Amino acid sequence: MSTVSLEKRSAAAPGLARIVRHGRDWAPLAVLVALCLVISAFNGNFLTIANLMRLLNTAAIPLVLALGSTFVILMGSIDLSVEGVVALTAVLASLLVANNISPLAIGLWAAPAAILAGGLLGFVNGWLHVRLKIPSFMTTLGVGFAGVGIATAILRGFTARIADPSFRFLSLGRVFGVPMAVWIAAVALGAALVFQQRTRSGRWIYAIGADESTARNAGIPVERTRILVFTVAGLFYGLAGVLSVAQFGQGHALISQGRLFTAVTAVVVGGTALSGGVGSVLNTVVGVLIVVTLANGMVLMGVEPYVQQGVQGLLIIAAVALSLDRSRLDVVK
Amino acid sequence: MNDLASIVRAFLPLIVLAALIGVVAAWDATFLSAANLLNVAADTMTLFLMASGVTIVIIIGGIDLSVQAVASMASCIVAAYLPKWGAAAVPFALFASGFAGWLGGAASTRLRIPSFIATLAVSGVVTSAGYWFSSTRALNISDALSSRYLFWAVGTTLGVPREVWVGLVALAALSFALDLTSFGRRVRAIGSQERAAIAAGLHVDRAKIAAFTLSGLMAGLAGVVMSARLGSGSPVLANEFLLPAVACIIVGGTSITGGVGSIWRTFVGALILQVVRIGMTYMGVTVFAQQIVFGFILVAAVAVTMDRRKVLIVK
Amino acid sequence: MNEAPKTLELRGVTKRFPGVMALDGVSFAAAKGEVVGLIGENGAGKSTVLKILSGIYQPDSGEVIVNGQPLRIASAREAFDHGVAMVFQEQSIIHNLTVAENMFLGREAEFLRFGLIDKRRMNAATEPFLRRVRLDVHPARRCADLTFAQRQMVEIAKALTLDDRMSGRVTILLDEPTSVLESAEVRLLFEIVEELKQRAAVVFISHRLEEVVSISDRIYVMRDGKVVKEVSAANATIPDLQAQMVGRQLHHEYYREARQAAPTAQVVMQARALSKQGAFADVSFALRAGEVLGVAGVVGSGREKLAQCLAGHLKPDSGELIVQGDTRRVWGAYEAVAEGVGLVPSERKVEGVVTAFSVAENMTLSALPQFERRGVLDFARERAVAQQWVDKLRIKTPTVRTLVSGLSGGNQQKVVLAKWRVAGVKVLILDHPTRGIDVGAKEDVYELVRDMTGEGLAIVLLGDTLDEVVGLSSRILVMRDGGVVAEVDAAAGAKPSQLDIVRHMA
Repeated sequence: MSTVSLEKRSAAAPGLARIVRHGRDWAPLAVLVALCLVISAFNGNFLTIANLMRLLNTAAIPLVLALGSTFVILMGSIDLSVEGVVALTAVLASLLVANNISPLAIGLWAAPAAILAGGLLGFVNGWLHVRLKIPSFMTTLGVGFAGVGIATAILRGFTARIADPSFRFLSLGRVFGVPMAVWIAAVALGAALVFQQRTRSGRWIYAIGADESTARNAGIPVERTRILVFTVAGLFYGLAGVLSVAQFGQGHALISQGRLFTAVTAVVVGGTALSGGVGSVLNTVVGVLIVVTLANGMVLMGVEPYVQQGVQGLLIIAAVALSLDRSRLDVVK
Repeated sequence: MNDLASIVRAFLPLIVLAALIGVVAAWDATFLSAANLLNVAADTMTLFLMASGVTIVIIIGGIDLSVQAVASMASCIVAAYLPKWGAAAVPFALFASGFAGWLGGAASTRLRIPSFIATLAVSGVVTSAGYWFSSTRALNISDALSSRYLFWAVGTTLGVPREVWVGLVALAALSFALDLTSFGRRVRAIGSQERAAIAAGLHVDRAKIAAFTLSGLMAGLAGVVMSARLGSGSPVLANEFLLPAVACIIVGGTSITGGVGSIWRTFVGALILQVVRIGMTYMGVTVFAQQIVFGFILVAAVAVTMDRRKVLIVK
Repeated sequence: MNEAPKTLELRGVTKRFPGVMALDGVSFAAAKGEVVGLIGENGAGKSTVLKILSGIYQPDSGEVIVNGQPLRIASAREAFDHGVAMVFQEQSIIHNLTVAENMFLGREAEFLRFGLIDKRRMNAATEPFLRRVRLDVHPARRCADLTFAQRQMVEIAKALTLDDRMSGRVTILLDEPTSVLESAEVRLLFEIVEELKQRAAVVFISHRLEEVVSISDRIYVMRDGKVVKEVSAANATIPDLQAQMVGRQLHHEYYREARQAAPTAQVVMQARALSKQGAFADVSFALRAGEVLGVAGVVGSGREKLAQCLAGHLKPDSGELIVQGDTRRVWGAYEAVAEGVGLVPSERKVEGVVTAFSVAENMTLSALPQFERRGVLDFARERAVAQQWVDKLRIKTPTVRTLVSGLSGGNQQKVVLAKWRVAGVKVLILDHPTRGIDVGAKEDVYELVRDMTGEGLAIVLLGDTLDEVVGLSSRILVMRDGGVVAEVDAAAGAKPSQLDIVRHMA
């Protein structure tokens, strides 16, 4: 009778395995660094303060959007309503401050109002998904389109041009030389980090995304947390809507076209897994920087702007394909 | 009695369609004229063609979010290459569209990526391609070129608009594939219970890739017909079509959870959406607000048709 | 006998499922200061007991009494809050959370300060429990970075957090805790269990009899849903326990032993040193036409994974498989079926039949090309062939168009078998083929097995019970911890006793 010894532990050489595993964690950052080096080799203007500041400014709105999406994706769901929510909150904000269409002019109060509106839409997303048990991609697709529709309906095809300089300061103003949009995005990042690391819901997101039945067995209120996360995501999208209006000085339904794509690309490229339970808002920061740097780099290298969507598409595919833990996968729909 | 209930449920979309037509006709009796109904059908065909291939993808258990980008790209190819390549332009457009579908299918099967992400990513690539083909402009198709190469998609034959003929041929061909061939049987098995299909030895990846390729092809056909009707091609020609395309599939009674469905249902679903749109216009609801209605119809239809037993954990 | 009050007690618990009595008046008890062993072969009822304690099932009759109070458990969390902690083999650890976060998952409320989790306090609270299980890791370490054994200790430490709140009234159930541990880790676990029992009751469920005897104070033996023996560990011997575990008489007619013929000399499938890390290692055998090769083994033996490997669902790390003379190059279900190997899976309703399809559609699913005529499916031929098999296998169905979801389990299984006959496979892997079907249908399946081997098919059988494996097989491979430890002949008229087999398994 032979005695068989099986290697039932995950790594024969623990040190090596640990490096490989953490290597995957560091891959996005390495990609970002490599990208910067390559671009600056092509064009010396890349690494100037002015360009870097421009980069950060461009990254502000996508980062805020991607932060919201990160929480949804960590839970294993997906949020396709980004553009619709931003459109609606932007339109609302633009009509609440001094503008050329509506008589209202509540100044900076429009910001929290728009953010709350975003949260409300997020709540609708979560509620439909949880109570009606409809897959998140379906509910958010519907709500997203509804959002764009409502936004268009309100404006009837017109564009609201705002005339409130203090509101525009939220994006265009500079404090210590850094644009306000970047400051606000940084604060949003801080809030997201606190939510993720220090609140119960933030930790529960990981449990639900990794193993929902274990989460339930531990007594975690899964349904309530799901709805909460979609609501929080909506708050972030609302903030992005505010920043969009402040930046462009106007509100219209197509203000966020293409943003969904960028947000999803950023989250995925940054290393957060679509299956849930793996990742972090810090990953998303790296992912946003990669996407924005790539876009900036393509401009500096003279590449046509329409190519960017295609490149992002390829990036998503590459990032998801490389990051998937294939041994865990069963049936992919 | 039980049989009656299930028959009603199976043909509910047709009943709903008849009822809606009745409601609109009550508002305006001219709606019921043959000429008008045929026009309505003609206007619906682009949407139906786009959604017809996606129906098969949904039945096999996936989703294809790239169809509007593919349709737009096809219109760009037609508009750009008809002057240069003549008769070869349309086949090339269809080939490129099928290839785009193939990309989505290959990415979701070989690379194990969920199909909505894979097709979302492909739509980005395809949009860029569309811009490239059209050199970032909207292009016009001259009447001469159109009457020479696109005659089959505009005008009438035997009193019926040619788009409708195209749609009916597509309906027949796809229904044939789905109901009478082993491919169709495989699609239903995989969509209904993929693990059992795998254990039975079916080549699941191959069937899925075929379904996605077909979806791309039909989206391309929709784009070609659109370019014929509108006389132009542009990278954003089919924008705003994605949601209605998915909606008409679900409203027609095909379940988002897969395994069950038919092409005729998508046909009826597209007509339902079109009649609702016309009805709303009569009632003074703006074009813009109609989007909201469609959004809610979609969510409601999914809630009704979903087979909850299949989804243990809803993500 | 222990005088301490009982922390956990089952009294006359009965649980019935259609066609099978999972638990029949089960009673046992555990008290602080003792380790109670619970043993029994597959299907004896151990996992049903755990499911009742987790709130997944409710008993049909009888009581579950926790710390003196009858309790109707609705969830694992509820059981936990009352003092019953279960540590399962499949770990319930969230890898991307830290040790401390896993320990207090769902109970973070006690560490909140201004609505935020006070990590320092939570980490500090974790440390004493980690010490008790001798786990030398920082509470802020991510569990993904720990070894399997370390994560198991975290689970046990989690169970201990009940200790402070409910001192002396805690029951910790360990389900197969050592099956994936190395011997040094097992020794460590034993030391910890010795310490644990000072403060709690421990229930040790395992198939490793030497371990159960060495760690337990008392042992309960389960068989066929009943507790058949309660013995103090001091008085228990392993042969004695094994004999209690098996006990059932072999019914020669039940398994149609008279129809069991000697296999031919033709080898249809040959395995050479098949290995898969974490599952099985160095498995070799030759399967002949007309033979039923039974594979016996308990949880952790690797036989289920081996079956999946043979059927093409699992790719081995090394080794060869030769089917009908050709070495298998590509590993997938599609290729295996093309080679002539079919699988009758254990989860019939998920993997065996397409429940939304009709009887005919299911039967032709693995042989669709056979039913095509000029590109179109020949529905008439499909129905005719299906009807032939319905008649031949005596499948109870109104028509061949009836959906299989309307058929009983036994008839569904016959449809699965018919499917593979239609496809013309030469090797059939039967994974728990009679699970969940009634006695009459089981006998039909046994008849079919004899029919098939009579016609030259070769069968690999993972039986539901040892009885079934011995009764049906012509030869039995016994697996333990991933390796084949014995090969026992089981010719008709010269069947080994179950004890002969069980001896190798423990």
